[in-house]
Amino acid sequence: MFGRLSSAVVLGVEARLIDVQCDIGGGLPMFQIVGLPDKEVSESRERIRSAIKNSGFSFPPGRITANLAPADLRKQGVGFDLPIALGILLASGQIPPPAGRTIVVGQLALNGDVQAVRGVLPLALEAGRSRFDGVLVPVANAPEAALVPSLPVFAAATLREAVDAISGTAPRYSRLGEPDGDAAPGRVEHDLAEVRGQMAAKRALEIAAAGEHNLLLVGPPGAGKSMLAHCLPEILPPLSREEALDVTRVYSVAGLLGDEGALVARRPFRSPHHTVSYAGMVGGGHGIPGPGEITLAHHGVLFLDELAEFDRRVLETLRQPLEEESIILSRAGISVRYPASFTLIAAMNPCPCGHLGDEARPCTCTATDIRRHRRHVSGPLLDRIDLFVDVPRLAAEELMDVPAGESTVVVRDRVVQARERQWARAAETGASSNARLRGEGIRAHCRLDAEGGLLLRRAIARFALSGRGHARVLRVARTIADLDGSWDIGAAHLAEALRYRNAASLRET
Amino acid sequence: MDKADLGTAAEELACKHLRQAGYRIVARNWRMRLGEIDIVARDGDVLAFVEVKARSSAGFGGPEGAVGPRKRRRIVAAAKAFLAATDCDLASRFDVVAVEDGDVRIVRDAFQVDDVWATV
Repeated sequence: MFGRLSSAVVLGVEARLIDVQCDIGGGLPMFQIVGLPDKEVSESRERIRSAIKNSGFSFPPGRITANLAPADLRKQGVGFDLPIALGILLASGQIPPPAGRTIVVGQLALNGDVQAVRGVLPLALEAGRSRFDGVLVPVANAPEAALVPSLPVFAAATLREAVDAISGTAPRYSRLGEPDGDAAPGRVEHDLAEVRGQMAAKRALEIAAAGEHNLLLVGPPGAGKSMLAHCLPEILPPLSREEALDVTRVYSVAGLLGDEGALVARRPFRSPHHTVSYAGMVGGGHGIPGPGEITLAHHGVLFLDELAEFDRRVLETLRQPLEEESIILSRAGISVRYPASFTLIAAMNPCPCGHLGDEARPCTCTATDIRRHRRHVSGPLLDRIDLFVDVPRLAAEELMDVPAGESTVVVRDRVVQARERQWARAAETGASSNARLRGEGIRAHCRLDAEGGLLLRRAIARFALSGRGHARVLRVARTIADLDGSWDIGAAHLAEALRYRNAASLRET
Repeated sequence: MDKADLGTAAEELACKHLRQAGYRIVARNWRMRLGEIDIVARDGDVLAFVEVKARSSAGFGGPEGAVGPRKRRRIVAAAKAFLAATDCDLASRFDVVAVEDGDVRIVRDAFQVDDVWATV
């Protein structure tokens, strides 16, 4: 007596199909699960046994073996409860054969209730791609599964309902609203107009948003660095449908989707505390590694406040994802890839006390203190930051008299226009934004006129710009020209870009 | 009545009840070196290994609670030997019949082989 169903395991943000085979044979009564199950999968036996009995079915006598194929892939998670339970009911002839090819996932409670699991969206996407007839998921996960266009979704609250769904006697889950529409951006939460003064920093923020450049804000405590950083996600162009689906997929795997489970409409803003661990930052944990902050910030903003306080090794791990827009986590027998395409915005004090370069309050740090503070973040990470800007303490008149600045909506419109120029070039360069431009793209699209060429030559000599530093200045100049609506980079654009190659307060010691 | 008599009387009563419930008795007091089974019976297509548990009074969680891990291991070992000796390939089940002051209850599928090893 044999029963068979399809399920899936989620590795990173991709689902791998799993064939769930159940066999009931003669012999002593026992129930085993084979096919490299982790502890929580083995424990599902107790849930399955109770759920079957408490749903009015009988747990068949004899020897029951459930095999999860391919048997060499580690199985983790609680989503196999439901497919194994249905497989046993099929094998013992208590329910009719399935009406179609369906991917089944769900956790069982002892009373037979079907409970939510993680990673349903990747599984539903895989079901759509592999042309399955539908997915059967817990009710709580149905909205995310329904994000996949034209995939029939069946939702079950209990094992009984799951049986009806698999036999084709239950209605499909009906989508709420239009699944193909763009994510609505909604109301602005952190408006740039609320930040007083800081015109230079706001300009840098706009450039960062327009070209996806990484940005470092340097200034004393209370100057508004954190407020500025919180404004960045909403200055960025609204998420496209594809991007929103990517983000939702990450949040589905992380188990962070809200109760409604709908599409994530806002760009993520992640602001890990400076005590964050290596695994918390890049991903990890027991078994199949889970996503870290850099992946939760995918298509959004990663804000590192008090950059100098972070563990240096944690900061070093950011290098690979900043270059490759993804992270590969390797463990014994398992390698998982997570997307990590984010804009980095960091903030730090110029020195431990924070007042270096402040005319009104003297700095109390020793030269050694300052060197140690800087050394923490020097080198390869700073090399990947395109924009450095000072955020000085505001003078009294700036705090009190300056009229409200431009609103986020106004700035975002300019950013979107600048980005549209980059998207138009993307077919040629393969770079979705100026920050992603590489060798050939820079040569083709960051040409300078005679005046600009001369200025750059002088800057290279004067500031001893490295090859990488040189490319950085050109990329930023490209973005400034895009904001200006100009196809050519003028000397003025380049001159502004050169201003952001270091922060004044980081230079003086 | 001493302990052994109590046991024999309970088994007699259990057999009567099992027959009434549709079981066919296959063997009684089947013994081997590592363990023993009070009653082997057929319940339809299923072979049931039945442990009879008698108590003269209520309390202590009832008789079925008194089949502890050690006892279960002995029953499982004997059941394994029985299946091997009789070359039987029926699906099987472990039942407990609780006899308490003349009151008889059949507990079907009281435990499974993997429960036994889990409690070791």
